[in-house]
Amino acid sequence: MRKVKFSHETVRVVIVGHVDHGKSTLIGRLIFELDQIQDGRYEELKKVSDKRGMVFEWAFLMDALQTERDQGITIDTTQIFFKTKKRNYVFVDAPGHKEFLRNMITGASSADIAFLIVDAEEGIKEQTKKHGYLLKLLGISKVIVVLNKMDKIKYSEDRFNLVQDDIKGYLNLLNVNAQVIIPISARDGENVNNKSKKMKWYKGLNIVESLDDYRVDDLSSSFAPLRLPVQDVYKLRDKRIIVGKIESGKLKNNDEVFFSPSNAKAKVKTIELWNSKKKSVNTGECVGFTIDQDIFVERGNIVSFGQSAPKLVNTFEASIFWLSDNPLNLEKKYTIKLTTAEYKVNFEKINKVIITNDLSKKGVNDILRNDVAEVTISSQLLVPVDNFYDNPSTSRFSIIEGFEVVGGGIVNTDNYPNQRKLTNKTNENIVPISSKISEVDRTAKQKHRPGIIWFTGLSGSGKSTIAKEVEKRMFSKGFNVFILDGDNLRSGLNKDLDFSPEGRMENIRRTAEVAALFSSAGFLVITSLISPYKSERKKARMIRPEIFKEIYIKASLKVCMQRDIKGLYAKASSGEIKNFTGLSAPYEVPDSPDLILETDNISIEKTIDKLENYIIKEFGVL
Amino acid sequence: MDHLTKLENQSIFILREVFSSVKNIAMLWSLGKDSNVMVWLAFKAFYGKIPFPLVHVDKKKKFKEMYEFRDKYEKEWNLKLIKGMCPPIEDIDPSLPKAARSAARKTEGLKQILNDYKFKAVIAGIRRDEQGTRAKERFFSPRDDEGTWDIKNQPPEFWDQFHTKYPASVHLRIHPLLSWTEIDIWRYIERENIPIVNLYFSKKGQRYRSLGDKDITNPVKSNAKNIKEIINELEKTKVSERSGRLMDHEEEDVFEKLRSKGYM
Repeated sequence: MRKVKFSHETVRVVIVGHVDHGKSTLIGRLIFELDQIQDGRYEELKKVSDKRGMVFEWAFLMDALQTERDQGITIDTTQIFFKTKKRNYVFVDAPGHKEFLRNMITGASSADIAFLIVDAEEGIKEQTKKHGYLLKLLGISKVIVVLNKMDKIKYSEDRFNLVQDDIKGYLNLLNVNAQVIIPISARDGENVNNKSKKMKWYKGLNIVESLDDYRVDDLSSSFAPLRLPVQDVYKLRDKRIIVGKIESGKLKNNDEVFFSPSNAKAKVKTIELWNSKKKSVNTGECVGFTIDQDIFVERGNIVSFGQSAPKLVNTFEASIFWLSDNPLNLEKKYTIKLTTAEYKVNFEKINKVIITNDLSKKGVNDILRNDVAEVTISSQLLVPVDNFYDNPSTSRFSIIEGFEVVGGGIVNTDNYPNQRKLTNKTNENIVPISSKISEVDRTAKQKHRPGIIWFTGLSGSGKSTIAKEVEKRMFSKGFNVFILDGDNLRSGLNKDLDFSPEGRMENIRRTAEVAALFSSAGFLVITSLISPYKSERKKARMIRPEIFKEIYIKASLKVCMQRDIKGLYAKASSGEIKNFTGLSAPYEVPDSPDLILETDNISIEKTIDKLENYIIKEFGVL
Repeated sequence: MDHLTKLENQSIFILREVFSSVKNIAMLWSLGKDSNVMVWLAFKAFYGKIPFPLVHVDKKKKFKEMYEFRDKYEKEWNLKLIKGMCPPIEDIDPSLPKAARSAARKTEGLKQILNDYKFKAVIAGIRRDEQGTRAKERFFSPRDDEGTWDIKNQPPEFWDQFHTKYPASVHLRIHPLLSWTEIDIWRYIERENIPIVNLYFSKKGQRYRSLGDKDITNPVKSNAKNIKEIINELEKTKVSERSGRLMDHEEEDVFEKLRSKGYM
């Protein structure tokens, strides 16, 4: 046998799975097999089992509460410590009953690796699937599958293969990697810490071997960029010490650090520790440091380096789990806690509620207790955040309503643009001139005031058609009118831009600036772009709010897809076009547009009449 | 990062988190090994000066060595120490078994202090490996004004997101050492050279493994005369840490009863 050197590292293992599939029993038996039941404990548990008229119950080692023992189920998560020849383990028992999902999440969220346990006779059940899905959401993508109660199916290899295929299929859907699938009998200790003689057909690892086989990633050697959420600022004598935990990356003296969301910069002067000195600190350390500038820093700020700062967004998508008795309310404000910061947010939209049974989507529906769902969230304040799969610790949050934690989630920032204003500062050497002809002079001879008619709507909603017709009519009425069309601009001025969130954001910014210039020249400008983001439309409005009118060209996605004039929906559906608004990229419906033009049911003629009247009313000079 | 350093950082994070989010907090100092580790971690978290008071709930039944230790380090460590008294045994629920009844005096003493000082959070050095119901604890654990632990309805706690928003009648018990084990504590005491009461070391073939009050704590058989020997002993032993605590063995659910009423 290979000689194993004992290491003091501790691996955290969570056991999840459907109620009564044997989680607590496996842990009890495992500790017995490793000869680590404390003296007197076995007798004590035997007494407790006898008292309840039961055969010896391993689960009582974990289920310490009276109600747990009386009802024979685990209510709250618990932890137990043991060691193998190789290293220490903490086993986290997570309740399998669906009523106690919050406790399952509490237990599982801190684990390095998970055991997903399945009753070989019963096969996959509801909570097997929900737990599998939640593991992924909690950031655990390595799973050891345990098929328990093999004794009940007479240690049959055929039955094992059948259930094994089922589970593999489901985990594949989730993108969860099942490292091994082990057939065991927890009660009888088969394949727990031995090679079972009753299952000679099984050649793989047993439970203890599979644990020792698992390699823990060393976080401090990762290449993730610096993230240090500020926990507090201590004033000690003449020093101002910024404290927090390094969630990723490294920090050393003289580094130039960058604060989000303020965009302030400073140099690290000293790293502060009690009774010891260090010049650099690494991932996982709770540190303190001083800086060379007197800038405002507070709890919730994120410290990074300038070139690898987190995104700054006020709208983002998230996968969430919901634990409250009240359904998620789209009208209500919630607080989310992300790193050490808190934000007031609205849930803008439910994108899908996921049925964990077959991973199909219930469609847009209510989010009820113990549901998992995908949503769009918006915050008044800018949120510094990463994508969960790039940097989990700075992209997961809890949701708070009143005095209660009602859920949690992970962030996906792919579909919304970075709002950081780094390039928007005007160079101080630029001095804009003002013309000798005022706008009033310029428009005095016209039959109308200048204006910006800003269209927003899905592809195929009718923007271009309406724009062209209205332009024609207004021109014939003597208006100086001009269309800025999205596709036209993208073939010239905006040729360099793609359809990423940032590309769309810049597309809108340039169009808005050009529209403002045209309006200063006295024109009535009609812009015809999808302009999917509320935040960007708001910025466009802010250039000249007094003459800006947001016109929502409203048509359902279904109708737009049927029209598909440019054939784009077909291409997007087949995956040929990525980031397509409405399908693979978000469209944010305006909250209070200046005018809504519905094109689903109302004729184009009437729609154009309506817009024409509106323009004359708002911009016409009698 | 090694195991002890990981634990150390987790505890410091928790201490800083409660200090930053809850006004008016205190730390329980029982004078035992865990408690001293906790004070040490607070020095690290707050740069040598603990910005909140320590509380010693005293049944006047500690060992002489412990009182000496307290008086010495109160000065040396420059601690702001509140010494709390406990009600007499006659005031305690007579239905409790004897040792548990004695221990419950401490719960009442703590309630008195919470009431007098209006602390919104108290930091306590309990660990999950000590006892089955402690294994079910949260790092941030809410209690109502009676100190009651609603064990069947604990809030979720995930991803270092510690919840601190509660109605005014609720106080929090903060448990920065929850993930530590007995042997971790000793290895850390050794590494950091943290002072402890000498009752932990063997005299005449016996030592105290866990220090409670004199009336309800027995020593265990041991020849471990220094920290190294204690660690060696713990690596091999199958005797539970609290085997010398009389109250733990009186009834199956005595600890759950005590804890749900506010015992640490």
